[in-house]
Amino acid sequence: MSLNTFKLFTMRRLLQVLAMTAAALTATASHAATPGIVGPTFNLTAQDAFISQPDGAMVYSWGYGCAATPAFLPTAIGGATCSSMQIPGPTLIVTEGDTVSVTLTNKLPAAAGTTSILFPGFAVTTSGGTAGLLTQEAAPTGSVTYTFTASTPGTHSYYSGTQGDLQVEMGLYGAIIVLPKNVPSNCNTGLAAKNLTAEAGSKESDFRLSHAAYDHPATCYDREYLFQFSEIDPKIHRQVEEQSALPCINLTGCMTVATENYHPAYFMINGRSMPDDMDPNYAPEYPHQPYNGNPHMHPGELVLLRIIGQGRWQHPFHEHGNHVRVLARDGNLILSSTDPITSKLAGPLLFTTTTTPGLAMDGIFYWTGKGLNWDVYGHGYPGDPSTCNPDSNGYNTLGDPAAPNYYEWCPDHNKSLEKAPFGQVASGGPVTLPDANILTNGTWYGGSPYLGPDATVRATSYTGSTPPSGTIANSPTKEAGFAFMWHSHNEREITTSNIFPGGMLMMMLVDPRGFTIDESN
Amino acid sequence: MKKLLLFGLPILVACVTPVFTSAQSFQVQCPLKTALHPGNGSDQGAIKCQQISGGDGYATMGDGTQTYLFAFGPLSGLSAIASGQPGTLPASAFMTPYDPAAAPDGAVGLTPDLDLVNDPTLDPACASASAPSYCTTGLNGHVDARQIMDVGVMNGNIPAPMMAIDEDDEFFLTLSNVGMIMRPDLFEQHTVHFHGYPNASSFYDGVPDASVAINIGGSFTYYYLAPDAGTYFWHCHITPPEHLQMGMVGQLYVRPRQNRASSGSALLDVWTAQQSDARTRSDCANDILCPSPKPLIDTSFHQGDVVNGHTYTKYAYNDGDGSTRYDVEYPIQIHGFDPSFHFVGMTFNPEQFTDMKDKYFLLNGRSYPDTVQHDPTTNAASSGFVGQPTSSNAMYTQDVDGVSRPSQPLPTIINIPVGGRALLRISDLDVTEYQTLASLGIPMQVIALNARLLRDQAGNNMYYTTNSITLAGGESLDVILDASDTTKYPGGSVFYLYTPQLDHLSNDAENFGGLMTEVRIN
Repeated sequence: MSLNTFKLFTMRRLLQVLAMTAAALTATASHAATPGIVGPTFNLTAQDAFISQPDGAMVYSWGYGCAATPAFLPTAIGGATCSSMQIPGPTLIVTEGDTVSVTLTNKLPAAAGTTSILFPGFAVTTSGGTAGLLTQEAAPTGSVTYTFTASTPGTHSYYSGTQGDLQVEMGLYGAIIVLPKNVPSNCNTGLAAKNLTAEAGSKESDFRLSHAAYDHPATCYDREYLFQFSEIDPKIHRQVEEQSALPCINLTGCMTVATENYHPAYFMINGRSMPDDMDPNYAPEYPHQPYNGNPHMHPGELVLLRIIGQGRWQHPFHEHGNHVRVLARDGNLILSSTDPITSKLAGPLLFTTTTTPGLAMDGIFYWTGKGLNWDVYGHGYPGDPSTCNPDSNGYNTLGDPAAPNYYEWCPDHNKSLEKAPFGQVASGGPVTLPDANILTNGTWYGGSPYLGPDATVRATSYTGSTPPSGTIANSPTKEAGFAFMWHSHNEREITTSNIFPGGMLMMMLVDPRGFTIDESN
Repeated sequence: MKKLLLFGLPILVACVTPVFTSAQSFQVQCPLKTALHPGNGSDQGAIKCQQISGGDGYATMGDGTQTYLFAFGPLSGLSAIASGQPGTLPASAFMTPYDPAAAPDGAVGLTPDLDLVNDPTLDPACASASAPSYCTTGLNGHVDARQIMDVGVMNGNIPAPMMAIDEDDEFFLTLSNVGMIMRPDLFEQHTVHFHGYPNASSFYDGVPDASVAINIGGSFTYYYLAPDAGTYFWHCHITPPEHLQMGMVGQLYVRPRQNRASSGSALLDVWTAQQSDARTRSDCANDILCPSPKPLIDTSFHQGDVVNGHTYTKYAYNDGDGSTRYDVEYPIQIHGFDPSFHFVGMTFNPEQFTDMKDKYFLLNGRSYPDTVQHDPTTNAASSGFVGQPTSSNAMYTQDVDGVSRPSQPLPTIINIPVGGRALLRISDLDVTEYQTLASLGIPMQVIALNARLLRDQAGNNMYYTTNSITLAGGESLDVILDASDTTKYPGGSVFYLYTPQLDHLSNDAENFGGLMTEVRIN
């Protein structure tokens, strides 16, 4: 079980099927919001442990953890834990204006020397600890306390300020979420309120930490996810593991670790590589990697993406399915210079939200299927009772929010895709689907071009013959969502130690209304 | 052996399943009329079609090395592609059987379905009063697989065949998987991912894990109504670390409907007219992803206005103010090849993704000096390459069957008419690292990022001028090179686009080459 085994798997496709099987078997309902611990006072430790990778490797790492059991948010996420250490560190949740106090106790091996935390974007005062280059530090077994006012809402990063090239690599980083003090009223009324009612119609609870990302009326959201990107070079972790037991009295530690040439083999989202990142939050098989990356949404929902680059490399994080409107960087809203009164947004639209080490950004994403020129719900067959009542933007939001086609793009209602379809969907469309035998179906294929089990069962009379049973991760009869891959576009990074698929990859599911997106784990 | 077990089974199933006469595995789709484009004179946009092969091929690197590719090749628009143009055609031109002499751009393999001609009752649509024309011509997309294999095997291009459509077009893209002749061990599927499409459909998104992929010997037709104007790109999404590194990457852009404005019309009026249709509207007050905010300043620019002696009718985006106008446009795709990986890709060996390191740096599939000229022997249009359109601009590479095929049709010389403006549609599909392209002498004005105009929601243009742009794989942007100042940029000047990442200015062991090309003021 040595860490420096770069196995070259020739049977990567076999592993692909096995990995996907594992994901499907464990991932029942594992779509989860932005879990974290509640402040404004935090007691953290820095400690070592082994974290797990999908190729079976256990990588010696350092991370922040909790000195005692904290309060967790959202409260409805079951099984929440904050152990001795975790990667990423615990997400610290506070409210704008809070006086935040973080006490860090150094429980790393003595050979590691001191450690610390930086809180970029905040004016930090310290007490206790020993003097360090960038900030006050905690000596081995000692503590230091950092205090600051949570002045700006949004997503921020925190990470070690001591020997950063080593300590950040080892896992000492995390996120801070500052909730806005004054949620704009339009985020609780009108369409925002109706979207919440629609979720109740799908038997969903509200897992948001807030209803807006900032004190700004254009930052309302219906769902939120946090994604932190980082890499691991196992050679570095192996050197540290071998020297971790060295006796030491130096504050600067006693290790000699080469952190260059940098040659990462593991690429992680929220501390886990694909497919582990799609397992539940707080999954017991990853005691030191509690957070997951398994985004779900319904058509029309505004989804807040909190994206942080940790580690040392940039990653072109590409979201299939639509653009992201960048709201802010490092907690700073990007606003038009000529419109400060009504403060119109000025951030770019990006389909690839490149991450930069230490930088946090907030963005809004949604999917509605607008402009496809065919009805994704498979409406328009003879006897179809469905209706679509367009609001001023063209979406079906005026009627019952519990309708299965709430937020349907009405101009495409009843438009057929298929010329002469199998099954009960509209005909006369522009395309003929090929014989299914010349296609290979993917693990997250819903079973038909259409969204939702109603349309999928009507369209193909789904028989369950593809893919091989046991590896269906998007059940045609229960979910039949639209799957989109969200991943690093430095494609080499969607591998785990030479194995594809792996690394910085997750599947985002646009689920039909009526399918319950259960974020309780 | 294990691969055979995994994939042999579905293929066995395919063999024993009766094949329907109407459901060929290779076929093209390109209707001449649709509900949105009935062809009655009031169509907005048109029906456009293209066919591509998914397979393999070879390319010539800057140091002369012949390198193996997994690649897409053209199966329509062959003459256009060979001369560096997009291979996208209007439906009627596409649905003309390919003939190298008489119809060099027609769909390869397209041939009349004689069963249908003899018995139109085989297709229920032929019974109606308004039966489509294919009921008599037999051109319903039926193909002769032999021609697809003759032309398609090993005809891979880098970049892959260019696609260009207009807003309001319906686009039918047929991908025919001809297999990879050098890798008989692989039952590799291929797909097409339209990168950056807003509100993309999962079924046509080309991600095999999320939907379907096409097996060897099959054709799949992707269908999209053109998205908002911009510089997108496309690529295979099967095992992306492998297929993208091996070369399955191509260019794609959508022209704005502002281009079709009638001469003399005010561009701001053209913008305003789009607000009356919910699909084409850009309403930032109600849509946080609004693509084209109303310009804050009315420049009173009209279609066909003359600036600096140049008449402008083409724009990169629906800017409403003429600020994205250009005289000439050049799509430029940045990529990088790891020669060890390409060798391994040809020789059945295990692939090291962690060690992947590019040594060849490509602009439109070529490295300097091939970006501006190439050894004439690499366009040996005669040796063994029979019966397909040829071009003196394309670089040719000899494949393992001894035949030289056009592998890299696109030089990257940027010719700007004196006093004019060039639009560079830049995309990057590198799979390992970020790449920088700098401009010496003539600055770059970045007007759009990721296929979206750089304008805030109050309508201020947020264009910025820079000496370099940096992109990772999966990103695109648009740059205007503005040569209006003829004192600074007189006719006859030559400027350079090059990478200041000096290790990328190389062709493997050759210490000068790589990511570099010329801007010529004519």
